[in-house]
Amino acid sequence: MNRSAPRSIDQYLRQLREELAGEDPALIQDALYDAEEYLRAEVAAHPEKSEADILEIIASTYGAPDEVAAAYRETETKVRAAMTTPLAKAPESAAGRFFSVYSDPRAYTALFFMILSLATGIIYFTFTVVGLSMSAGLAVLIVGVPFFLLFIGIARVISLAEGRLIEAMTGVRMPRRPPHPGAPAGFWSRVAAMLTDRRTWSTLLYLVLMLPLGIAYFVIAVVGLTVSMSLIFAPLVGLAGRLGILFAVDHVHMHVSPEWLDTVWALPLLFAAGVLLLTLLMHLSRAIGRLHAAYAKALLVTRG
Amino acid sequence: MDDSDAKKFQKDLNGGLVSLVLLAVLDRSPEDLYGYEIAKRLASAHDGALIFKEGTIYPVLRALSAGGLLTSRIVPSYSGPPRRYYRITDPGRAVLAEWKAIWQSTRGFVDRFIE
Repeated sequence: MNRSAPRSIDQYLRQLREELAGEDPALIQDALYDAEEYLRAEVAAHPEKSEADILEIIASTYGAPDEVAAAYRETETKVRAAMTTPLAKAPESAAGRFFSVYSDPRAYTALFFMILSLATGIIYFTFTVVGLSMSAGLAVLIVGVPFFLLFIGIARVISLAEGRLIEAMTGVRMPRRPPHPGAPAGFWSRVAAMLTDRRTWSTLLYLVLMLPLGIAYFVIAVVGLTVSMSLIFAPLVGLAGRLGILFAVDHVHMHVSPEWLDTVWALPLLFAAGVLLLTLLMHLSRAIGRLHAAYAKALLVTRG
Repeated sequence: MDDSDAKKFQKDLNGGLVSLVLLAVLDRSPEDLYGYEIAKRLASAHDGALIFKEGTIYPVLRALSAGGLLTSRIVPSYSGPPRRYYRITDPGRAVLAEWKAIWQSTRGFVDRFIE
């Protein structure tokens, strides 16, 4: 480390951020948060010393930025190795690979996330639209400013919670701490910084876009599940109907066209088509889960 | 050269020991503790000369918490960002008892050769 030792908390945090460049943005956010908690507590615990005096000995107590960065990198690798279930060995054959999606828990959780996203999408959209329009309406009144700040604050909490949900569902690392508030500054300069922070607006954009996305995810999941499930169970119904067991449900009308689909020979084909469709749906949900996590990270985590 | 070898040896040793010490500290403490408080407790117990940098305990606390051995809650603070207070969980206590036994038998084994 030939870089000059940091002389202030801001310099320390900047150097730590540089040391962690290229790491997962979520990890960087956590590391900066922890470091600031320590440094500010240390400064507050020694009111007789100046910030520069305290920073002078910080390398021997808390650790220099490069040491701390190394600790986070190592722990992160170890934890990831210990926490994630080892991936089942990919089967060699193409068919084996195709059907191995059923043994991937991520595919199921992503499918669940797609169904859930309609509900969260409605909540986020309503919250954002109501918050924004009320802020605009109240802007001329004295309560307008605190109302808007409260709205942005809640939006940030939601964004953190959404991140945790996405990490649970897709396994993609998201922040475990709220975003770092930045250098200490006066109230109004903080407000100005918040308004010019790209992330404030991209978070709101994400929350609004969750409604159309949630509808699309929900439709894909529900239509995919119902169509494939009815294809899979169609042979049972067809067989039961042919054997005359289905008398109890005589209000079930089966309309089958073209004609050849109504033959006994078509039943296994329907079953196979259902299984194929269900497997494709599982692949699709897993892919959507990954894509959505990358998209969420771009809008909710990455700093502008 | 010697210095960096010593550092590397210390670091290799610390791998699991930091987790063990953190669990033990939180197990003994009647109240929940936050990162800075834990760091200072460790430093004062060892006359200010820690065998590891205080900054390295934070990622370990987070890892233990992610593993369910600790729980945490956030409390606002006047001096900086909100503090995260940690508390040991029942699985954490079970793991601590297990690790204590491992550490004691390891220490006994090593001491037999170097003393």
